[in-house]
Amino acid sequence: MAELIKFKGVKRYYDVGSEIVKALDGVDLTINHNEYISIMGPSGSGKSTLMNMIGCLDSPTDGTYEFEGEKVHEMDDNQLASIRNRKIGFVFQTFNLLPKLTALRNVELPLIYANVPRDERLKLAEIAVGKVSLTDRMHHKPNELSGGQRQRVAIARALVTNPSIILADEPTGNLDSKSGVEIMNVFDELYKEGNTIILVTHEAYIAEHAHRTIHILDGCIEEDIKNHKSKTRKKLRKKKATA
Amino acid sequence: MFAYIESLRMALSSIWGNKLRTALTTLGIIIGILAVTLMGTLISGLDRSFEKSMSFLGRDVLYIAKYEWFGEQEWWEIRNRPDLKVEYVEKLKAQSKYIQAAAPVTIRTANITRKDEMAMGINILGTTTEFVQTAYMNIESGRFYTDGEDRSGARVIVIGYDVANALFENENPIGEKVKIGNYVFRVVGVAEKQGKFLGLFSLDNRAIIPLGTYQRIFSRRGWMRLDVKVGQANIDDAKDEITAIMRRLRGLHPQEKNDFAVNQQDAFRQQYQTMKIAIGGTGVFITVLSLVVGGIGIMNIMFVSVKERTREIGVRKAIGATQGSIMRQFLLEALFICLFGGCIGIILALGGSFLIDKYMFPSTMPISLAIISLILSSVVGIVAGLAPSYRAARLDPIEALRYE
Repeated sequence: MAELIKFKGVKRYYDVGSEIVKALDGVDLTINHNEYISIMGPSGSGKSTLMNMIGCLDSPTDGTYEFEGEKVHEMDDNQLASIRNRKIGFVFQTFNLLPKLTALRNVELPLIYANVPRDERLKLAEIAVGKVSLTDRMHHKPNELSGGQRQRVAIARALVTNPSIILADEPTGNLDSKSGVEIMNVFDELYKEGNTIILVTHEAYIAEHAHRTIHILDGCIEEDIKNHKSKTRKKLRKKKATA
Repeated sequence: MFAYIESLRMALSSIWGNKLRTALTTLGIIIGILAVTLMGTLISGLDRSFEKSMSFLGRDVLYIAKYEWFGEQEWWEIRNRPDLKVEYVEKLKAQSKYIQAAAPVTIRTANITRKDEMAMGINILGTTTEFVQTAYMNIESGRFYTDGEDRSGARVIVIGYDVANALFENENPIGEKVKIGNYVFRVVGVAEKQGKFLGLFSLDNRAIIPLGTYQRIFSRRGWMRLDVKVGQANIDDAKDEITAIMRRLRGLHPQEKNDFAVNQQDAFRQQYQTMKIAIGGTGVFITVLSLVVGGIGIMNIMFVSVKERTREIGVRKAIGATQGSIMRQFLLEALFICLFGGCIGIILALGGSFLIDKYMFPSTMPISLAIISLILSSVVGIVAGLAPSYRAARLDPIEALRYE
């Protein structure tokens, strides 16, 4: 499997005046294509920083970060924006949809920054909305949608540029359990379709969906384990067995 | 390219989403644009009526009089100046090579009556036939009086357009009798309508009688002006020459100052320029002031807008917006708020200039000024939007996404 993400001794220090906070303190991490990963850790462990780092929202203080061979640690702001736009789809805990735009227009947004012509944009956005089965609601604004539907719009937005990786930060944190299950099913489907998914969560049952779980503590990787009992794995095995 | 169109769309939708706020914010810009365009309209109208009035004076006519039109001498220096005399006219004409026509003019105010009708406060001019040339006067009906009538002191009169209207409504005045005091005059001509001079007094509200008649009936002495028409090309030379001749006629020593004045249209022009600069300066001052205040208002509201939409900016950055595209979005928003204000200002100014045109004097809003004011408001928008847009562009996406 090809290497997608490669961290080597990545450090991220914050200078808060009186002291230096070591949010990440030497992380080595390799993520391949079509992996389903969950990142876990208590608050303050550095998992948000790690996610921001993977998402190219932040640059390492020290160490190297290669994304599909591109040296992220050497990039300037515009290059980072470009790689976020092309390669990374973000799903946030609070959905972060723009309230004044319809679902479809929200999904279209990343394509605007990718300089895709309008007609093509709408076509791609409709396909993405279709993938999260929201075609009938795509002309509604976020406040006319349920929490689960909003998160699906957000997933469609993350998908629309056909990114290399989908990065979800507590995607079920603001949802009731039923919608949460629904959303996790969407991620499971996306994984099966060949996408690479990284979930940041502190819920064990969410992490169970992934086949690899990375535990973070005090800015370091404490544990990196294959989750052979993962639900998706089970399903996959079932599929293989029946086939 | 798409990015620009999309930035534009986003900016417009944000403005549309905050209609009231936008409208209130642009007030300063509106006032600024209104001030500059209305001032322009006013000046254009003044220009037009000034030029029209100046055409009555004639560019190539010198007015020799006792006093300067806009003199700055102290009154005691000039109060003893002698009156001008009729005989100067012939002497001037004989000695000057520039003079094409010359007419002595003397004026008094009187009422003209006819049967029961009375025209009050009419300027009665006593002059010679060459006045037709120096005053660029056209006769609408009838004729001007002749030299013979002038010399013989005939009781004939040429009346102005308004006088004719007042005394002879729907009648032909030619050949009819009118009275000034107890003296009966026969109307021989009616002057063409000329309009008001600088909006002050009407040139149609006068009557002209032969100088000979005037002097016999009213007075041989008193105020007199000599209107001298010279070729336009030589007006400066002519002025020097005529001043020299006048000095000679008056017998002035080289050290003595002129005890007469040679006036010309330019005197009015200079006065007018001064006034125009004053009006223009006031307008520009108000404009600059309100544009600065308006610009600060817009800067303020843009800072609020950036603050409010911190999260949105974070999202946009996370999904791939560059600093440039965020900057562009907010700059365009500021620009359009200002352009919007500018347009409203221009629309209001159009209404204002229509009112000025209708109730004050003929004027139009200069198109160039409308364009300039739009450019001006764009500049204000961009300048006011720079700092907030820069702040928006430089936001750290992580911080922005976390912002509540």
